Amino acid sequence: MRVIIVEDSVLLAEGLTLLLNTEGHEVVATVGTADEFHTAVGKHRPDIAVVDIRLPPTYRDEGVRAAVQVRRDHPGQPILVLSQYVEQTYATELLAGGGGGIGYLLKDRVARVSEFVDALERVARGGTAMDPEVIAQLLTRRHAHPIDTLTPREREVLSLMAEGHSNTDIATTLVVTERAVHKHVGNIFAKLSLPPSDSGHRRVLAVLTYLSGV
Amino acid sequence: MVWRAVRATGRLVLNLLLVPLGFFALLGTVVTMVLSATYLGLLLLPFAIRFNRAVASLARRNAGAWLGERVTASYRPVAGGPLARVRVVTGDPQTWRDLGFLVLHAFTGTLGGILAIGLWGALGWGLSIPIWWWAPLPEHAIYLPWALDSWARVVVTVPLFLGLVATVGFRVLPSIAEGLFRLAKAILAPRHVRLAERVTEALDAHGYELRRIERDLHDGAQARLVSIAMRLGIAERVLAADPGKAAALITEARLSTEETMTELRDIIRGMYPPILADRGLPGAVAALAGRSPVPVDVEMDDVGRLPAAVEAAAYFVIAEALTNVARHSGASGVKIRIRRTESRLEAEVADDGKGGADENGGSGLAGIRRRVSAFDGETTLTSPPGGPTTLRVELPCE
Repeated sequence: MRVIIVEDSVLLAEGLTLLLNTEGHEVVATVGTADEFHTAVGKHRPDIAVVDIRLPPTYRDEGVRAAVQVRRDHPGQPILVLSQYVEQTYATELLAGGGGGIGYLLKDRVARVSEFVDALERVARGGTAMDPEVIAQLLTRRHAHPIDTLTPREREVLSLMAEGHSNTDIATTLVVTERAVHKHVGNIFAKLSLPPSDSGHRRVLAVLTYLSGV
Repeated sequence: MVWRAVRATGRLVLNLLLVPLGFFALLGTVVTMVLSATYLGLLLLPFAIRFNRAVASLARRNAGAWLGERVTASYRPVAGGPLARVRVVTGDPQTWRDLGFLVLHAFTGTLGGILAIGLWGALGWGLSIPIWWWAPLPEHAIYLPWALDSWARVVVTVPLFLGLVATVGFRVLPSIAEGLFRLAKAILAPRHVRLAERVTEALDAHGYELRRIERDLHDGAQARLVSIAMRLGIAERVLAADPGKAAALITEARLSTEETMTELRDIIRGMYPPILADRGLPGAVAALAGRSPVPVDVEMDDVGRLPAAVEAAAYFVIAEALTNVARHSGASGVKIRIRRTESRLEAEVADDGKGGADENGGSGLAGIRRRVSAFDGETTLTSPPGGPTTLRVELPCE
């Protein structure tokens, strides 16, 4: 894959480049500001952009704003946003534009290289990768809520689904058959009265919208 | 209004009783000062001053009871030999403020007391007008612009008089009390002294926070980094000889870095939540509201940018309040209101829960109070049994 990195810290940018090169991906550009990010996407049309949230000049949430902006000008451009901390608010903003190819992960996740690369490839293919912590934030919110009627297993499946995993992935992670996962998913959608949905990005979006909306 | 007037009367009468005490205290002080030319005066002076201070502290308590706050002063500790004691008490500016107050109080205290007693006296006199008319008294005994010589005149005059005295008196008396006690507070507990106390509290709180962060970093992140470095070092050495062991060590090191990152994130969140840096108070409060298990309705004026410390304090207070609501109130909804007046930030968290919040129940309310008072702000909690509960804080932000 052809990747651009948007990261102002040289140390982290070098680390990411090393990691991606080792995994056989090509880093076509490394930039440090939101404007350069915008230009680089137009110029290189990368398969995916990995973006840090805090960028110059104010080191606040430029990365999120830039990602939303880039997606407006280049619809469908896959973007993976990395951050030292996750906020459900930012997840909602990133997903608000609709369409797949969005990821939002803690920087910590980079340490588990194969999982990180999986997520990267999933996003590049138009899928979703949401950090488990975002999902945890969403799940601990409400009481007296249909979510409470889910069995522990169904909650696990729901979390993995919301993170953006496919049924196959979920089956592997939980060490169960795909048929079992399929059944759980059916139960979850019925209990939450969500319209049945295919296994792609639309499903993730439906679940996340449901979680953040109520 | 009537109750306020009654309270004002009570306080003003007590104030009046302090006048003779103050007189003796002043007299004692002046006499011992004159006697200071002799050794006897020097010996007695600290005692006279002590009497002075006792009277002043009674006045402080009286003023505090009316104002509804603690009115305190700090004196320099009196210790050492007779001469040293004299030096301490005469060098303490509060001694002279107390003396000045007692002189002033001889006038204001008397005036306030007389007005308070006079008001009720006038009311009593008004009630007695009919009797006077009945009684065989010379007509000029009643000082009114017209003669009271028929029931019709009495019926008009008495309510008119009572109404006039009551409206004016009940309104004016509390204002007089307010003025006098504020004046007393200004002299007996000067603002710079109070501010100094607040600053000490704030510094204490700040120092405590610094020590906590230092300990967290030292025992946690730093120790973990050392162990990671050690594991990597060993892995490096055994890599050629025992690749399997090296791989296991590297995995351990990676897991340890992940724990360290989580820990650092928690520490940072406790110092200054990143969302606050990113989005300011509105964004941070919206994020808190989004995370609350109880539905939250936020109403927030455009408060502009505030000093970081004030924003952080407001954020932590609201976070703590929301945690309390979720944990104890059983509420089905919370309303957060944030406003900014010229110099103050006001935040209110109101829930529709079962009330009866206990300040001493380890509910974090004491922490909220401490945090707010460190900024010279104010915390008000109303939580009658049965609810609703409203927490209001005001933080100066200039």
